[in-house]
Order: sequence, then structure tokens, then C-alpha cells
Amino acid sequence: MLMPKKVAHRKHHRGRMTGATKGGENIDFGDYGIQALEPAWVTARQIEAARIAMTRHVRRGGKVWIRVFPDKPVTKKPAETRMGSGKGNPELWVAVVKPGRILFELAGVDEELARAAMNRAIQKLPMKARFVVRHGLNSTEGQS
Amino acid sequence: MADIALIAEPRTEQGSSASRRLRHAGRIPAVVYGHGAEPIPVSVDSRALRQVFNTAAGENVLLDLSIGTERHLAMARDLQRHPVRRTISHVDFLVVNRDEVVSAEVPVVLLGEALHVTRGGGTVDQTTFTLPVKAKPSDIPSHVEIDITDLELGHAIRVADVSVPAGVIIELEPETVLVTGIAGRGAVTQDEVVEPVEAN
Repeated sequence: MLMPKKVAHRKHHRGRMTGATKGGENIDFGDYGIQALEPAWVTARQIEAARIAMTRHVRRGGKVWIRVFPDKPVTKKPAETRMGSGKGNPELWVAVVKPGRILFELAGVDEELARAAMNRAIQKLPMKARFVVRHGLNSTEGQS
Repeated sequence: MADIALIAEPRTEQGSSASRRLRHAGRIPAVVYGHGAEPIPVSVDSRALRQVFNTAAGENVLLDLSIGTERHLAMARDLQRHPVRRTISHVDFLVVNRDEVVSAEVPVVLLGEALHVTRGGGTVDQTTFTLPVKAKPSDIPSHVEIDITDLELGHAIRVADVSVPAGVIIELEPETVLVTGIAGRGAVTQDEVVEPVEAN
């Protein structure tokens, strides 16, 4: 699973997820992509599950790019613990995703296969997302 | 490339709130600059703007921009789009001269099917999707075509291999790779293909 090698601070504040993404909204590497339509924390497990769902459907050929990285630690207090006594322990890593962000890209396969593979990957994600096609590629649903 | 007429109105109010009000009213905020002149904040009709970029020339279309009584020959230099809706939220118009050489980004279109690559189990990896070019405004091509029919596994098509119309200069090193035939999972590269040896 994806996680940082080292961090400056072990525990982060939760933060806010207002507004749309400030970058990463274009398909820059592949031909097809998954674009987030809602804000969410995407965990490293969800990213890995989506990647596996996509690559297993594609089988041979194709190249996958993961455009988000889970660099935010999320802490949890142990079960049946009284409140207080400081912040809990880091338990998982998440990527903060805002609407418009491209999460995955895919190239080297035809559109029909890419759409099917990416729709399977979308099922593994915690927010609404859609299949998009790079602008300039012949398709019915383009990212202009 | 024929000039397309576009009417722009000068903007009096500036800032994000005024721009938001403009977008709600069906107009797109824009700015016109170039040739050392002071930038002019303007707004254009969103429907007309969409039609302007919907021609064969693409986003490098040459515009006959009218601002009140003034008329400028202009090109769209920068398009800002909404990250989800993909609608245009702001445009920069660059005033150009017919005889001056300007820079532009031209999309790359791959032609044909790289059968040598796909039959070898590999994929075509396009590393560059737009080419920065320098040309006179009327000479800028709508796209640059690259034929990948003869591309082989492990080989690449570079800037030097691309032919562009006369008067157009690609602003990249000739050795810059544009398209590569890469080996996919389970694919074999050209060097690994062993020719069958006949037994005597």
C-alpha cells in the first residue's frame, strides 16, 4: 500500500475540504481517467483496491498511473477508551481529494475496456466519480 | 485559417465577485493584452466563445476581436476551465500581428495503428500531447500528425522525425521523444525475439 517513507509530523489536523481541486484536473499521461465528483478522504487501501480491480480487468497490456498519494495520517483512539489523554495513534493514510481531481489514468487499451475497468475501480472509491477521456482523443465523452 | 469575429465588451468591475456575476449572466471574463499595450479587461458571450473554439482550427483560431470601436487581431493564449464542469471560466487574448512569429501549443494526433508494437504485446506510449511551435498566426497548424504505423517495440519517434508545414518551428530539442513503443506485461522486446533455427 502507498504511504510516505518519512513525515515531518506524525499526527495531522483533520482540515476542511471546501471547493474544487486546485490542480490535477487534466488527464496528463494516459488516454482515460477517473475524475472525482465529490470531496473525500481516499485511504491507501481504497487506492490499492481500485488499482487491483482495474489491472485485473485489463489483464494484459495497458499502463496505469495513480495520480493521488495518501500523505495524510489519520489517528484513532483504541476501543473502549475514555476521552482525553491526548490524540490517538496514527492508524491509516489518506489522500485528500476534492471535486475535479483525476485519481487514476489508463493508456494502451481501447475505450470500451478502459470504461469497464475504470467503472470497476470507481466501485472501490468512497465518493462519486466518473470516467473521462483525454481531450483530443476520438470519443463520445471528452474532457475538453 | 480564417479570422472569426468575436465581440467583446469592456469590463468596468473587476475581481472575483464581479466575475462570478458575469458568468451567471452568461458572459466570460477575459483580458486582452500584447504589443506592450496596457491590458484591457473585457467580457465575451459564453455561447459565442464556445462556437469560436469549435472550429477546425481548435484553440489556436485567429480572432477578429471588436472592443467597442477598436478592432484587434487576437489569439486565445490561455484558457481557464472549471475543474468539474469543464466550462471556460476565463480567457487571455493575445493581440498579434499577421507578420510576427508567435508561440502556440498544437495538439499531436497519432495516425494509424502500431501493429509491430501491439502484436508484440506492447503498448504505444505517447509522452507529449501538445507541441510548442513558433509560426506566423495564419501558419499555425490545427494539429500535428504523427504516423505510428512503422513504430516498433523499443523504438521511439522523436521531434526530428516529425514533419511540419513550412514556416513552422517546433520549440523542442530534436532528440525529444514524442511516442515510444514500450513492452507491456508479458511482452517481448525486439532483441529478445529468437529466430527459429532449422535442425540439420
